[in-house]
Amino acid sequence: MEKVEEKEIGFLKMNKGKIFKLAKGFRGRAKNCIRIARERVEKALQYSYRDRRNKKRDMRSLWIEQINAGTRLHGVNYGNFMHGLTKENIQLNRKVLSELSMHEPYSFKALVDVSRSAFPGNRPAVKKEGLAAIL
Amino acid sequence: MATAIAASAFLSSAFSGGRPQPRQRRAARPAPRRAAAGGLSVRCEQSEKQKRQPLSALVPREQRFMFEGDELCGPDIWNTTWYPKAADHVTTEKTWYVVDATDKILGRLASTIAVHIRGKNEATYTPSVDMGAFVVVVNAEKVAVSGKKRSQKLYRRHSGRPGGMKVETFDQLQKRIPERIIEHAVRGMLPKGRLGRRLFTHLKVYKGAEHPHEAQKPVPLPIRDKRIQKTD
Repeated sequence: MEKVEEKEIGFLKMNKGKIFKLAKGFRGRAKNCIRIARERVEKALQYSYRDRRNKKRDMRSLWIEQINAGTRLHGVNYGNFMHGLTKENIQLNRKVLSELSMHEPYSFKALVDVSRSAFPGNRPAVKKEGLAAIL
Repeated sequence: MATAIAASAFLSSAFSGGRPQPRQRRAARPAPRRAAAGGLSVRCEQSEKQKRQPLSALVPREQRFMFEGDELCGPDIWNTTWYPKAADHVTTEKTWYVVDATDKILGRLASTIAVHIRGKNEATYTPSVDMGAFVVVVNAEKVAVSGKKRSQKLYRRHSGRPGGMKVETFDQLQKRIPERIIEHAVRGMLPKGRLGRRLFTHLKVYKGAEHPHEAQKPVPLPIRDKRIQKTD
């Protein structure tokens, strides 16, 4: 651990040019003065490490919000929709589903209908005529 | 198993039926944007600027080798993340909704309004962009609250100076400035920040039954909450 820290500190101590290159676009003195820039660049790298992992979470939650909006246009909410899809063993992921809801509305409606029909309560009762109705 | 195959066959038939050529846009839109809330329309091809036909429709087959990629087939929507362009959220083309606040429960009404202003009811919702609609509220002085809130709900504000806290009840504020009640409620439900402040300007509240936005042809706001109307 110490070796790595020393290496990191070494990197940040020695390469002023690299630090200023990474500090482009920063606010105020953080882009011009080395002492401040070094701190902000360090923080920026930490944030970018953390956010490479957060981005995956954020994108998924955005897809879920978009799918929710798309299904509510058809009268179904996200939870029931996904439940119906898993029942029908449709393995489309949320990314694709959100893109379908945006760009392919008819296909998405077909998916919503498939999901709705997965619940036995939704199937329209078959009308029996004639003798079958009496029996 | 069987249902998955049937479902995939269903989907592939839906795909093939509606698409004569690969990635060719549909010839006619089913309904104009504002008229039908449930009308389906292909979102990414809404605005005028994006309606340029991809060259694959115009260029004869022999000459297609001269073009490639995006200009031939149109933008790749399946392998890149879609982000709304400026043409996707032009303010002048946004939907306008109108609500009559008479005898509607304050919080439930404000919640529905905030959802429509934010744009969360549309599949193209993007948190960093204003994709919502405008909402006009009329008869703001007739909004209702349940229980004893009419005399007990307090609205506070502070002037910044010591001892400068001013407290008012719902009743008093409704007599003084009735629009502020709905504005206060909706502002609390919109995001706080630059974008939230801009979204707040899309809310227009009026005291009587008249509003000056007839030129925008506002549509009645679709409300799905069943308990929003005060019954007793």
